[in-house]
This record gives sequence, structure tokens and C-alpha cells, in this order.
Amino acid sequence: MFPIARSELVQVLRDRAVLITSLIMPLAASAFFIGFRDVFAGIGSLGYVAAVLVFTIAAFSLYVTTVTTLAGRRQSLFLKRLRSTAAGDAAILSGLVLPVSAIALVQVAVIVTTFAVVGGTPADALLFVVAAVATFAMMLALGIGTAGVTTSPEHAQVTTLPLSLGTIAVASWVGITGTHDLTELKRILPGGAATELMVGAWNGGLALADALLLLVPTAAWVVVAIALAARMFRWEPRR
Amino acid sequence: MATNPVIDVDRLGVTYGTFQAVKDLSFQVERGELYALLGTNGAGKTSTLEVVEGHRTPTTGSVRVLGSAPTDRRAVRPRTGTMLQESGFAPDLTVVETVRLIGRLSGREDSAERVLGLVGLTLKADTRVAQLSGGEKRRLDFATAVHGRPELLFLDEPTTGLDIQSRDALWGTVEQLRADGTTIVLTTHYLEEAQQHADRVGLMHGGTLRREGTVAELTRSLPASIRFSLPPGAATPPRQAVPLEDRSWAIETFELQRDLKQLLDWAAASEVELDGLSAAPTRLDDVFRAVGTDPAVPAPR
Repeated sequence: MFPIARSELVQVLRDRAVLITSLIMPLAASAFFIGFRDVFAGIGSLGYVAAVLVFTIAAFSLYVTTVTTLAGRRQSLFLKRLRSTAAGDAAILSGLVLPVSAIALVQVAVIVTTFAVVGGTPADALLFVVAAVATFAMMLALGIGTAGVTTSPEHAQVTTLPLSLGTIAVASWVGITGTHDLTELKRILPGGAATELMVGAWNGGLALADALLLLVPTAAWVVVAIALAARMFRWEPRR
Repeated sequence: MATNPVIDVDRLGVTYGTFQAVKDLSFQVERGELYALLGTNGAGKTSTLEVVEGHRTPTTGSVRVLGSAPTDRRAVRPRTGTMLQESGFAPDLTVVETVRLIGRLSGREDSAERVLGLVGLTLKADTRVAQLSGGEKRRLDFATAVHGRPELLFLDEPTTGLDIQSRDALWGTVEQLRADGTTIVLTTHYLEEAQQHADRVGLMHGGTLRREGTVAELTRSLPASIRFSLPPGAATPPRQAVPLEDRSWAIETFELQRDLKQLLDWAAASEVELDGLSAAPTRLDDVFRAVGTDPAVPAPR
């Protein structure tokens, strides 16, 4: 896994398009949210701003980049090349997504820490971290699943739109309106339960039992995404 | 049959939906030999290779490579080098980074500098793959395949896109590997390469093996050919000569030397000059054409 991860990191750092999508755009969006945090906090809460920051990074740095990268490696037959070696499928896939995941995690850590410094620290930092990590796991799994129906990096610009924008929209909907109404729907949608958990962890007032229950839909999405990926993921382009 | 073949394909079948690409295919590759698997377009060669290389599972039948299922990467790949038909390299990695990565993943120790020297890419070590020519990419492909001196080597159209010097260098390395005991499976559209280097050849058509044997055995199955033309008014040539549409004559024979001498003796005795005389032993091309045009075999899709 690690030799693949190292070569993948080299490729990411040498690919200008990937750097813009995965680094610059999410950073710019995050700076916007942090700069106007009082406005957004007035619409929702500081917890809502924190959740949107996490989803912005998870959607663009992690999800879109994962789909684009895997589709590109498949299209260029690099996946087939790797599978002609002694490396197993799990090691190949892990190695390919590890750098993107690590970069996104570092990004979100820096951005959320910056937000905490300027806006105030979360009520339950550990719970917030757990929720953010669960969100990242869900978006990574959805990325691998989406890569299964994505034929090329160009096609990824289309196939990633529903989930990348959709999860941010869900996060905004839940973060602004809460889950007092349409509770089940908001929690079942991808990102809904995770947003409620992050908002509660940041703002405070969330009981541990309720918090653990909110992890279940997010974990379920991870399972669904992995099942879809196992069914749909292709290692070679269709002939 | 070999008692411990390196590759053992037994009644292999590969089906895509309703289309049967490979049917009831059986062959073995013995240790240390160079086996050329050839075939007409759509013969099922690629599907067969993909199964043997471990990229696809058989629909029916069984395949063993080095005693294991070819999909058992941990058991097979450290002992196997594969030169794919298409490069499949990461465009943003350099040549030496690529060799080190694939070499490391192959499970075999070797020096990247050594294999780059074998293929003449030492000066391109720090060049990104995207900037290589097609021939240079093929040489890189070969370098990664022979990294660590594998026991078994798959060469899928290895010389496509190579100039004559690169081809000679590649075959020089292949012959060195053979001398060291490497088993090689070759596919190529350059039949003269198979003719020159293969110990045995398998010819596929319509999803199955139509001919198999040494080059000598295969070419002996078809007659050699003598061609010539006669000046107007010349005497009738020997009985076995057949007139062709372009007014030339042909003799098909399994005794080339004897019949050529007989023809030359007749021409001398008859004071006839033979125009455009050619005497060609059967080549693999001729066997290939015969397999491809066998009316008993349906044309491939």
C-alpha cells in the first residue's frame, strides 16, 4: 500500500487540476465561511458553520478528488498495471486514496482549528472529531462507489455533482432548520445525521446516547457505499 | 505432455453474455520454453491471455500458472513479469519512479538502473512518462516486466512501435533470459518473430486452438512453393507444375529440394530460361493464412 500511496502523492502534487480542485477551491470556500461566520451563525449557529466547513472539504478535497483520481487511473490503464503486480486489490485501492484522504484530513484539521480559534471552541471537541471522521469515511466510500460509474476525469465533473452539492445542501438544510420536523428524512439523507451530530457537538447540549444513535445513519451510508462500490467498481475501462 | 508444466490450460471457456470467445481450449507451456500464442483477429487470444495472466476468471475449465490459480497474485506475481499490450503507466511519474514502483510491487529485488540500461532508457530516467515516445513507453514496459528476472514472462506484442535497433536489443535480452531458464509466453502480429524465436506455437481461430507444435512441425503440414514463368513457346514444364492466372506456374511440394532440382534439370535440358524463379519453404504466415481461411471454421465476429 505505501509504495502506491507515495507514488500517488507525487502524482497529486504534480497535477495542477487536482491541486486546484482539492486544495485551493476548498480553502477559498472555507475562508469565505470563516470570514462571514457571524452572518452564517446568525442564520444557523456556529455549529452549523463548523459542519459546513467539514462538508466543504469532504465534498471537494476528498469526494470529488477520489472520483476523479480513480477514474483517471482506470482510464489510463494504471489500475490494470497495478493489478498485474503482486499487490492485492485492497492494498491498491487503499494506496490510491490514502494521500487524498490524508490531505483532506489535514486541511479540515487546520480549517476547523482556525475556526475554533476565531469563533470559539466546540463544547465537545472529541465528539465533533468522531463525527467529522465518520463524515469523511462516508464521503470516501461514496467516492469509491461513484468512481464505479465514472468513465473518465471529465465525466467525474458530472457524476460527482449530485453528491458533492447534495451533501452540502443537506448539511445546510439540517444546520439551519434543525431536525425538529422531518426528523427521519433529514437523518436518513447522506450527511443529515452527521450534520446534526456535528452541530450538537459544537454547540453543546447533545446527550451521549443521542450522539451514538446519530452515528448509525452515517455508518449505514458507509456500508451502502461500500456495497455499491464492490458491485460497480471496475478496474479496467469497458471495451 | 509435460509432467510439471509452468502453465496448464485445461478446457478453458470464456463467455461474455451469449458470446463464447474461447471454447474448450487446452494447452501447456513447459518450463524454459518460449511459447508463441498466435491467432487471427477475434480468435480469443486476448481473452485467453487475460485469464492466464490473472486479470479474468474462466467461465469454464481451469488454468494453473506455476502450480497456482493465476488470480492468486501473492503466489504467482512475484515469479511472473508481464508486458501488457498497452502501457498503462502514470503519466506524471518519471521513468525511474515507474520502474521502482512496479519493481517494488512485483516482489522481486533488482536495480532500476540495471533494467533501464537493458532497454536503453538510462538517459531518460528523470523524464516523465507522458513525455516518452510510443517506442520508449514499450521499452519501459519491457523493463518493468523483466525487473527482478522473473521465472515466467508474458510478452504481449512486445515490439509494436519499436525501431529495428530496439527490437534487436529486446530480443537479445529475451534470449539471455531464455538462456537463464525463463519461460516465456509471446503474442505478436509479427509472425517472423514467432518463426525465429518460438520453441512451440499455438494458433487460435474461432475461440479454440487449431494448430500447435514446433515451427518445423507446423510448416511441414503445408507444401512449399516453387514459382516461375516461361517465355512464349517454351516446352511444357514438369507434370506437377500448375498454371496460374497470371501465366506463371507453380509447383507445391513437400520435397522442395528434390523438385527444385528436377525443375532446374528440366530447364537445362529444354534450354528454357525460368523467369522470376522463386522457391520458398512454407512459412508460419502460410500456416496462419490457412488456419484463418479454413472454410470449416466460421468467421469471427
